[in-house]
Amino acid sequence: MNSSSTLAEILLDGISRGAVYALVALGYTMVYGVLGMINFAHGEIFMIGMFACVYAIGAFSVMWGDHVLLNLGLGIIVAMIFSAGYGYANERIAYRRLRKAHVLAPLTSAIGISTFLQYFIFLNVSKEKVQFPRYYSDLLTTNHIVLGSIEISYLRLAILGLTILIMGGLFYLINHTRLGIALRATAQDQLMASLVGIPVDKIIAFTFVLGSALAAVAGVMVAMYTNVLVFDAGYRVGLKAFTAAILGGIGNVPGAVLGAMILGLTEALTTLQFGSEWNDVSTFAVLMLVLLLRPRGLLGERVADKV
Amino acid sequence: MAAWRPYLLGLLGVAALTFPFLWLQLAPNFENNTVGVVWAFDHGLDFFRDLSTVFVVGFLIWTGIRLNRRFAWDRALARSSAWKKVGLFWENYWGWIAVVILFLVLALSIHPNGSEALRSAGFPWISTSTLGLLTFAGLYMLLAVGLNITVGMTGLLVLGYASFYAFGAYIFALGQQYFFFPWYLAGPVAFLLGGCAGYLLGLPCLRLRGDYLAIVTLGFAEAFRELMRNLHVTGGDKGIVLKDSSIFQGFAGLSNQQVCYAVIAMSLVAAVFFIQRIYHSPVGRAWIAIRENEVAAAAMGIPVVQMKLLAFSLSAAVAAVAGVIYGAKDGFVSPAMCEFQQSIMILAMVILGGLGNSYGALLGAALLYLVPEYLKALPSMIQNNAMLTGIVPPFVSDSFQHLSDYRWLLFGAVMVLMMLYRPQGLLGSSRRKTEMLNR
Repeated sequence: MNSSSTLAEILLDGISRGAVYALVALGYTMVYGVLGMINFAHGEIFMIGMFACVYAIGAFSVMWGDHVLLNLGLGIIVAMIFSAGYGYANERIAYRRLRKAHVLAPLTSAIGISTFLQYFIFLNVSKEKVQFPRYYSDLLTTNHIVLGSIEISYLRLAILGLTILIMGGLFYLINHTRLGIALRATAQDQLMASLVGIPVDKIIAFTFVLGSALAAVAGVMVAMYTNVLVFDAGYRVGLKAFTAAILGGIGNVPGAVLGAMILGLTEALTTLQFGSEWNDVSTFAVLMLVLLLRPRGLLGERVADKV
Repeated sequence: MAAWRPYLLGLLGVAALTFPFLWLQLAPNFENNTVGVVWAFDHGLDFFRDLSTVFVVGFLIWTGIRLNRRFAWDRALARSSAWKKVGLFWENYWGWIAVVILFLVLALSIHPNGSEALRSAGFPWISTSTLGLLTFAGLYMLLAVGLNITVGMTGLLVLGYASFYAFGAYIFALGQQYFFFPWYLAGPVAFLLGGCAGYLLGLPCLRLRGDYLAIVTLGFAEAFRELMRNLHVTGGDKGIVLKDSSIFQGFAGLSNQQVCYAVIAMSLVAAVFFIQRIYHSPVGRAWIAIRENEVAAAAMGIPVVQMKLLAFSLSAAVAAVAGVIYGAKDGFVSPAMCEFQQSIMILAMVILGGLGNSYGALLGAALLYLVPEYLKALPSMIQNNAMLTGIVPPFVSDSFQHLSDYRWLLFGAVMVLMMLYRPQGLLGSSRRKTEMLNR
């Protein structure tokens, strides 16, 4: 962003950053809402989605040549399937047996999974940054819609549209479907939910799978946006997204989106005012401020401790 | 057959999920900016070959545990008279054993040719680099013991512990640029300031749910590193080179490495002693109560927030002292000290050794630091030893050589497996296990 950027462009930059964080933060907040646990490996699932998409595009272009839309669309689907698989594996391995354990236990095992996945990719795929194939992202990044004085690339529009769509979909799913009722019942009391015939294990696994598939979409978008894939990308974005989820009140779907938008705008403003190297510092300052003033997050409800 | 079905399905699932990453490789096409994939079977095979030792060792341990469950060897051993004798011996003479070990360790550090003397006395794994390795192991032990106060004793997860370590080091490095601030002054000052930093950071987030602390400290570590990388005073990525007058210097016939080793050994002994004393005092009881059930502890009149803050700032203070020692040892401080991996490594040490047990933290630090380092040195040791080269097949020594690259992968696996099968850690009590498995 150059020095002549207008307020509108900063806002746009902030909102599209925020939208990406929101897609990841929704996964955190859903798992937290249902299980009351932080899914620490969520960032790595996001990273797996990035790499799975590039692998899929590579495989398809070897199989039937470079058809941009077909390969990209199938690539996103494959990425979602892979991420969902990793999310399910994560739940089975690191969470299911520790569901009733002390908070420390699942958190630690998730950190283990996250370290394992990071270095699995580091050792087996690439120690360096990998370029996203530009041939596929150019269509979305070089074409713009002009609105007055600002240009919005198709990619940003897609990110924004997807975020709104997914947030709306989740909101509908949780509040207006039978599945959503089962989800909320599981979140309230697992034993009671199982007594009335809700398959608690399946519901929890479904939460992980859905959150992971969303993370894969976010991963592909970020990979196209920044053009780089790297094994620790998930850690950085995951940390930001989690901060966003806390900001908005963890366990709350609109809260996660709101928190992510605030975070994105903070970053855009910091980048303009001080330079992008201060992003982490300003993010942390905002987090501390919110925790001091409103410990349960902006839209969070006060939850009594379960004994 | 039916009992095997879920395992088989799980194995197939894992194989399918890891398939592209193991057996395919990306082949970017830079001419028209597309990408392709190529088969890379040798790559995947290399992965399994390098980890073959781990699989074998893991299988042996697993078989041992299964057999023990079947035949209850550990109970028989505990009942046997020989083991009782060993126990009695340990009870009567543990002080002497400790003195002998301390003597060996001191001989290594104080005698100018200590390492050579021990090597010729029949300890082939000791070489000139042993002192450096043990110094670093001691530093990690200090950090693990400090982190154990929060994670193990009080049950608060801290993910950005290395930032306090870097904080102490930067206090030292910045102080010595402007004042007379040698390491022996910097240590106590860093202890106090580190404690204050921990207190200030803990103040907003210790009133909240436990897992917030994990993320806030992680965010703090990131923000602190970025701050150190971007400020002019701290020298950016290059860090600060310390003045010779403020770092460890040899005196009375000791080299500066040996002085450093002795300082670390002494601070480690002091830290373990005082922390164990606190743990067995009313404060420690309060920590245990908070760890087991915070609400119940509050109901019993324990000042929960104050006790948590005390634990948190104490462990931050220990880390800050470790940071000063690191600065005085290497004469160089940089933002790389508070990388996330550092924090995770210290956490893995505490978890492996035994949550809430200072000796467990020592054991965990020793295992996780020294084993990979020795594994790295093992192939050359095998090559230099004519007897071993005959016995050990070459692919095993190859596998050892690459094993240290897989260190982080194994750390992650260790953390998961420990939580699933032995959440109390290697040296944990059954009481701790019950605590970890029941909320």
